[in-house]
Amino acid sequence: MNETAAASAPDAEPEGADRREAGTEPVVAGDGVRKSYGDVVALDGVEVRVEPGEVFGLIGPNGAGKTTLVRALTGTTDAEGVLEVFGVPPTEVDPQRVGLLPQSFDPPERLTATELVDYYGGLYDAARDTDAVLRDVGMADDADAWYETLSGGQKRRTCVATAIVNDPDLLFLDEPTTGIDPAGRRSIHRLIERLADDGTTVFLTSHAMDEVERLADRVALLRDGAVVAVGAPDDLIAEHGGDPRLEVTLGEAAAEVDAEAVTAALSGRAAVESTRKGLRIVGVRPEDIGDAVDALEAAGVAFESLAWSEPSLEDVYLRLTGEEYSPLAGGFDEAETEEGDR
Amino acid sequence: MTRAGRIATEASAAARSFLRRRTAVFFTFFFPVILVVIFGALVQTQPTGGGLFAEPAGYYIPGYLAVVVLFTPLSRVGSEIARHRDGGRFEKLATTPLSRTEWLLAHTLVNIAIIGAASLLILGLVLAVTDAEPVVSPALAVLPVFVVVAVALFCGLGSLLGALADSQDGVIAASNTVALPLLFLSETFVSPALLPEWFLPAVAASPLTYFARGTRAIVFEPGPWLGDLAVLSVLAVAFLALGAYAVPQTD
Repeated sequence: MNETAAASAPDAEPEGADRREAGTEPVVAGDGVRKSYGDVVALDGVEVRVEPGEVFGLIGPNGAGKTTLVRALTGTTDAEGVLEVFGVPPTEVDPQRVGLLPQSFDPPERLTATELVDYYGGLYDAARDTDAVLRDVGMADDADAWYETLSGGQKRRTCVATAIVNDPDLLFLDEPTTGIDPAGRRSIHRLIERLADDGTTVFLTSHAMDEVERLADRVALLRDGAVVAVGAPDDLIAEHGGDPRLEVTLGEAAAEVDAEAVTAALSGRAAVESTRKGLRIVGVRPEDIGDAVDALEAAGVAFESLAWSEPSLEDVYLRLTGEEYSPLAGGFDEAETEEGDR
Repeated sequence: MTRAGRIATEASAAARSFLRRRTAVFFTFFFPVILVVIFGALVQTQPTGGGLFAEPAGYYIPGYLAVVVLFTPLSRVGSEIARHRDGGRFEKLATTPLSRTEWLLAHTLVNIAIIGAASLLILGLVLAVTDAEPVVSPALAVLPVFVVVAVALFCGLGSLLGALADSQDGVIAASNTVALPLLFLSETFVSPALLPEWFLPAVAASPLTYFARGTRAIVFEPGPWLGDLAVLSVLAVAFLALGAYAVPQTD
């Protein structure tokens, strides 16, 4: 179930609830969090609540306030409102319990990956074994290379290692997979899943919707400094993702096809749109695919291929942020947004 | 991890990181060497005549030492703060047990080691290429203390400059602007006799003056140095405290 900004916890049991400890205080709690930089409002009354053991995803457009919220929660920027981490203000939290990967982070460049993990681990009372941490992030083979000689993805994985070296109870990861190749991303995903399974609470911000959809138990969507929706990914998709669709590729004859004829053949049971490569039939459930094919044949449409897809978190994001992509218009257009969710 | 352990960890990482920047290491030591060679060997002093270098060669030993004691901490700590800020390192460190004071103390230790080595190099070079003959006395053992205290003081000032300037370029410009007048108007290379009387209070207000007076009382004109060391120590504590407070922790 998805929620408005005013309601911070879903009524229904969210996905991943088995990881959490029932009846415990939230790890992160924010109420009416506000932050401005001059005339620019970065956070506008944010409410947030993250339960123990939860992977909490924070998504939103550039400039929505995600990094500012992470900074407020880690005590690296001042913000108005009530903010608590482990029941105390962020600046009073035992640092041993928190790990942070800042969005923009460039550690000393002439230390090796091993030395960097040793360095950050050496600042804590207790730290994990450096070799084990580097293995966790897939950096064991390049552990002795200077940071400045690593690829972008290797650098980011090394930075992730510095965030988990103290074995934190709460881990803030601000865009952890930026610049990482697919294999590297998967190793980070597996790491996050393993950490969550072991009870670590993860606060994850990302622009990779598939990543958040895969990893997060609950997701909050931030827009213009306010939470416009929060809930389990499946609930958000069901509420805001729209209908499943069938993409029909027509090849060179695409321009000659009459979308209205197909609509008529479907007796109005699904909406048909023209796309650059053919047609998009919206509202087609899996059991309706056969009917859709019949309708295409009845309308005399010879297609090259069909691709059916369910709505995803990306559709939710695009719809709620008003950045829905319009291929016919040739780019991103301001779409109708659900102001009622604010 | 104890406070000492955290400081040692930070200092070790900072030292290793610095020593691997060969250009930075080379010019940190080459800069004072150039000054000694130019002023000590090429220009030389003219004790019987007028002009800038009218004092005996030994008079300028504190000035040569002041070059590294002043310039190096200002530029290094200031630049390090700018580098940390640009790289989001303070944001990361703010979530670790390392405090701002510990961070500054660690970087002060690194500077003390670097500048201690550079000071030995300068002293050796001054003896080799000039006519200076330092006074050898038990008080010579206090010379390293003056260097340590002065380096700590200027690390604090460097931290203030790093926090105030908004970029590495700004830090370099600011540290040069502060250091150059201090270097020449603190009884180092320009004796008070060459300055107008109305300017002498400004000379007395410069922390570097007390370093120059104290070290000169040890290596050139034997005299009391404890008062200068006391003033320098009080200022060092004050600047370190201000500098630690200025180390960025939030945006």
